Amino acid sequence: MANGIVDKVKEQATSIWGKVHGSQVAESILRPGSPFKKGYSDTPRNRSYVIMNNVLYHLHPVKVKRHGVRLSYTLCLGGISFFLFILLTITGIFLMFYYAPTAEAAYVDVEALSTSVAFGSLVRNMHRWGAHLMVLSVFLHMSRVFYHGAYKPPREFNWVVGVILLLLTLLLSFTGYLLPWDQLALWAVTVGTNMAGFVPVFGDQVKFALLGSVEVTGDTILRWYVLHVLAFPFIIVIFMAVHFWRVRKDGGISGPL
Amino acid sequence: MAEEPLVFEGKRVLGVVPGVPPVGDRKIPEEQESVMVWPHLLVRHAVAALAVLLIVLLVAIFFDAPLREIANPAVTPNPEKAPWYFAGLQELLSHYHPLVAGILVPGAVILGAMALPYLDRNPDRHGKTRRVAVATFTIFLVAWIVLTIIGFAFRGPDWGWVWPWIDWYGEL
Repeated sequence: MANGIVDKVKEQATSIWGKVHGSQVAESILRPGSPFKKGYSDTPRNRSYVIMNNVLYHLHPVKVKRHGVRLSYTLCLGGISFFLFILLTITGIFLMFYYAPTAEAAYVDVEALSTSVAFGSLVRNMHRWGAHLMVLSVFLHMSRVFYHGAYKPPREFNWVVGVILLLLTLLLSFTGYLLPWDQLALWAVTVGTNMAGFVPVFGDQVKFALLGSVEVTGDTILRWYVLHVLAFPFIIVIFMAVHFWRVRKDGGISGPL
Repeated sequence: MAEEPLVFEGKRVLGVVPGVPPVGDRKIPEEQESVMVWPHLLVRHAVAALAVLLIVLLVAIFFDAPLREIANPAVTPNPEKAPWYFAGLQELLSHYHPLVAGILVPGAVILGAMALPYLDRNPDRHGKTRRVAVATFTIFLVAWIVLTIIGFAFRGPDWGWVWPWIDWYGEL
């Protein structure tokens, strides 16, 4: 008796799923060759379509050289850097909901993340350690590319874009360092921005533009917050787009030695 | 005498060639050959992404991000430390004039790095024929790593030398 009911429910569910899966809506969302499409079969043609008929085609060609998928060649460092950027964006958006960039609120808000926000402490920790890890992985990626001589023609310009991406990564990390507004943040940024004061001729002006004041104050928090959550991410996404596009246009990742 | 026509699944065919299909990746792959991005590369992406996510999660569960007392311009901590990736720069700063250590050296390193592909005219990518380039880069790399480790872990109050296993002043 119970089995009969279970079977009936299963049958109904399958039939409803079949209707949804094959509906015009689902068909319009999933392009030909999508592995999520009804009746997908694993053929070479469909394997091509998965990429070609998909937004992924902006990132990947249908086929890559065999060495390109080998973990021991790239160590996946560029991809890991990109993934960490995505992770930092997601955790960063979460943190923005609980943070106000003022001298009065910043520290209290960050403190409250560990006392009164669900998963607040975990997400902040992920953001902090993920950021350090991204600096490390970008740095290692650059070293890997150097030792493989992968900056040589026709990839010279993509190396230059990569150096800019490293700088932007450091700037993103450093602007984020100020935001908790604790002693660590204040004095690390004081040390860092004092150096800018030694820029020849325009030193004081550069420092003032960086701090929005003559020393690190609440105005600096707002300035660095906007740079951290909006300006630098915007710029780095543009450079990343160029970087990934050039990887493909320069003939995919460099060949094995 | 004519041969019997070859019939395969009810259809007459010219011939059946044993072996592997001419397209796709269901044949024995060689080094320079291509493989399909789906599934080979995308699956690797997914595994790498999940591995990184797991590492970040585990670190985040077991180690809390630092949060000291609220910022106070009246109290200067000793030592004042920059984030670890600038610790090399800070160490340099303790030896040279800020214009040199803070502006000229990092500026030259950045410009030099950008100019690298245009300065290195050697088209060969094998390590053995790239001795000068590899040596130069490695010297910079090692110097930078050593400076960073010294600045990060071996410097204490008044930027004096400390042994990190005795007194720890590193900040993340």
